[in-house]
Amino acid sequence: MSGDRMFDDPMPDDPMEVPRATNGRAPDVFREGGWVPMREHSENEAVDFAIVGTGAGGGTLACKLAEAGFSVVAFDAGPYWRPLEDFASDETEQRKLFWTEDRLCDGDDPLKLGDNNSGRSVGGSTVHYAMVSLRFRPEWFQSRSKLGYGADWPIDWREMWRYYQEVERTLQISGPLSYPWGPKRPRYPRRPHELNAAALVLAKGAEALGIDWAPTPIATLSSPHGKAPPCVYRGFCTSGCSTNAKQSVLNTWLPRALAAGAEIRDLAMVGRIETDRAGLVTGVHYHRDGQWRFQRARNVVVAGYAIETPRLLLNSATDRFPDGLANSSGLVGSNLMVQLNQAVWGSMAEEVRSYKAPPSLALTEHWNYADDGKDFFGGYCYMSQGPLPIVWARTLAGSRGLWGEALMRQMERYNHQVGLKMVGECLPQERNRVTLADETDRYGLPVARVTYSYCDNDKRMMRHALGFMGQALEAAGATDLWEERDDTCHLNGTARMGSDPATSVVDADCRSWDIPNLWICDGSVFPTVGGVNPSLTIQAIACRTADRIQALAGRGAL
Amino acid sequence: MDDMTRGAASVPARLDQRPTRPARGAAWAVAGLAALSAGAALALRRRARPQRRLEGPPPVTLRVAKDLNRSAALLGLAALADSAVEHYRGSFHNPAMVTPLAVSTAVIGVSLFGTLDDRPRAHAVRDAAYGGAILTGAVGTGFHLFNVTKRPGGLSWLNLFYGAPIGAPSAVALAGLLGFFAERVRHTRPGEAPAKAPKVLGVPAADALAALVSLGILGTVAETALLHFRGAFHDPAMYLPMVVPPVGAALLAGTVLSGNGRPAMASTRAARWGLRATAALGFVGVGFHAFGVHRNMGGWRNWSQNILNGPPLPAPPSYTALALAGLATLSLEEDRRHAR
Repeated sequence: MSGDRMFDDPMPDDPMEVPRATNGRAPDVFREGGWVPMREHSENEAVDFAIVGTGAGGGTLACKLAEAGFSVVAFDAGPYWRPLEDFASDETEQRKLFWTEDRLCDGDDPLKLGDNNSGRSVGGSTVHYAMVSLRFRPEWFQSRSKLGYGADWPIDWREMWRYYQEVERTLQISGPLSYPWGPKRPRYPRRPHELNAAALVLAKGAEALGIDWAPTPIATLSSPHGKAPPCVYRGFCTSGCSTNAKQSVLNTWLPRALAAGAEIRDLAMVGRIETDRAGLVTGVHYHRDGQWRFQRARNVVVAGYAIETPRLLLNSATDRFPDGLANSSGLVGSNLMVQLNQAVWGSMAEEVRSYKAPPSLALTEHWNYADDGKDFFGGYCYMSQGPLPIVWARTLAGSRGLWGEALMRQMERYNHQVGLKMVGECLPQERNRVTLADETDRYGLPVARVTYSYCDNDKRMMRHALGFMGQALEAAGATDLWEERDDTCHLNGTARMGSDPATSVVDADCRSWDIPNLWICDGSVFPTVGGVNPSLTIQAIACRTADRIQALAGRGAL
Repeated sequence: MDDMTRGAASVPARLDQRPTRPARGAAWAVAGLAALSAGAALALRRRARPQRRLEGPPPVTLRVAKDLNRSAALLGLAALADSAVEHYRGSFHNPAMVTPLAVSTAVIGVSLFGTLDDRPRAHAVRDAAYGGAILTGAVGTGFHLFNVTKRPGGLSWLNLFYGAPIGAPSAVALAGLLGFFAERVRHTRPGEAPAKAPKVLGVPAADALAALVSLGILGTVAETALLHFRGAFHDPAMYLPMVVPPVGAALLAGTVLSGNGRPAMASTRAARWGLRATAALGFVGVGFHAFGVHRNMGGWRNWSQNILNGPPLPAPPSYTALALAGLATLSLEEDRRHAR
């Protein structure tokens, strides 16, 4: 079954209720009501790879493995959207993109989970990410040896540099012609976007304080590419891009994956990984269409991001692996790292209308690369901001404590608001972790308990950044400044990679130390997070993992 | 089959559906219009044959002058349309942004007047309008440069991409210069026979024109290169103006300015074909740009936004205008050679 418009479901086409990728076809993300052919695999025959999750890690890996000739089935708990027909210019409606299942949050600084750190869609959270596509500072891959904090990665930065380039080409990143920080990098495939007024405020502030700034390398098109039009600066990026200008996993890697013969199962929640007596994984139990099913597989890749990945590993405990799979180190779930997402907001005399265009068009990585003048380890960047009205009202009510008439008066100043927001490196701490709670979810699976507390280093960085961003905003002419101190973003760690089985969960190839046919490929494997958004690095790791799997298969070492 | 039909009917119709077919239709319509105008322009060129009003055939200088008037008119039209669209996009936030519209309209008017005027005399009104265009181009370049450099980052790639286009006002100036040359070539002192080798500011007109047209083409290529680079050369056709017009310009300059004054017929013929190709590219380019408009979100159905966002439709005909001026220069050059 393939071809142009084929409609044979008597059911209404609600992608949140009825799986779309069935009967040999998957949604064509580039056409309303369109389909593309999809190869299907039998549940009883073991596929080469069952991949749990189709985001930056799993989706990228599914594509690369399918293109290398492996049989691949990728599962996602979320729906398979067609952005052109499913995405509204409505923040409330678009909350459907977030993972808002029950979780318990505790610790000294309980996390707010949902919008900026999770996704429940085929394509994962890249469907609503802010598209900021930054490379790690090279030293961060050896932050323990070179900078004295965190843990070393088992991968050389030069190797990562090559994979970064592959991802940047795939996503057709728009970026500046010369990047002010770090070693020379190849030219970005697309030119930078025009800066909006909010980005110009960042630039003015940076110039006033004498530090470098740059147009943000960003995964939305600045000129047409394939079936995708260039960005129209609609500004709903973090609520889902309805034009396909955003280059997400959903409209880049996955169409390629399907064309290469991968199968994608949407609305398919994997609840347990099965292991045999030999201690190898044999497949995954997943819930789809109202029933539990089982897919046999020769290898299983877990790519559910830093909460669902350890949850699945812990939920798959057996007599042989009583603490969960891949957990002989006891580190599955620990070293959870968010990133600091504090902001300074202010008001400009002139209109800014910061909601126009992608929210973070300009950035400075100055404090990622400068090591002097810091009283903390790690680094941070900060970017211009463009919150949509509901997010902004929630920020004013929640973080600034405004209500009633005071809130109304501030909302009237919406078009004049401007802000700088950091993405800061939190240090890995074993006490920050994902464990299983006693409560269960709608599938009867124990929900995740997420425990988080800042360390003193995190707090020092926060203070430094808030002070500096405040100076920058003031220098750019903003008044009525206030600090938003309680926000975090992104999730990493919980199944770190390393070169020692005693202190890490997977090796450099994302292969678990304990079970040779179990792999983990998402942000969970990060030993440290750095001061940049993680999506580019996750995809680069996935590309590297695919190459390594191919190499291992080539010499019969799978 | 029944199921398929029912399913199709249940798909909600959406206003923002990407209009593939209508868009392509519109693109073809625009390309057709462009071709039609190309034909008209060539026909006009043909009709520029000597009209028998004097005793003998009218001098070559008059014919060339009218050709140059025509080029100035076309370049003025491109500048008018381009500045109208772009300055409308900029909401005419500075009242001075109306100037290029007024001036290029004047250039078009006096140029059409020139094409109808058989007198071998420069005309004060035409000279005034052309002079005004040259001045406007110079001042406009200053304005645009100021707009670019006042932005954070100063004279950076980003500001060159998105600030006021540095090269754009030169189109108005070039239209004025072509007209100014037309007047000088046309002008004969009372009682004197038309010069066999007219001069402009002491330089043989053919040489000066060849230099002007070649530099004008190269400047336009630089502007195109900047903007096509901004578009990441996403369509291979975007390299065409990097290749064809520079070849035309080089052949023209090589033929006319080669120094010893005895260029081979072959080189003239090559220059003619190079310039014809450049002229054709100007029209084909409008078609390509129409296709580029279609590749923006909503395509031609969303024309009111995408004409502003997409590649500028009036930009490519500048090449046609300059190439036509180049062809006129070749006529002048041939005339000079016959006189030797």
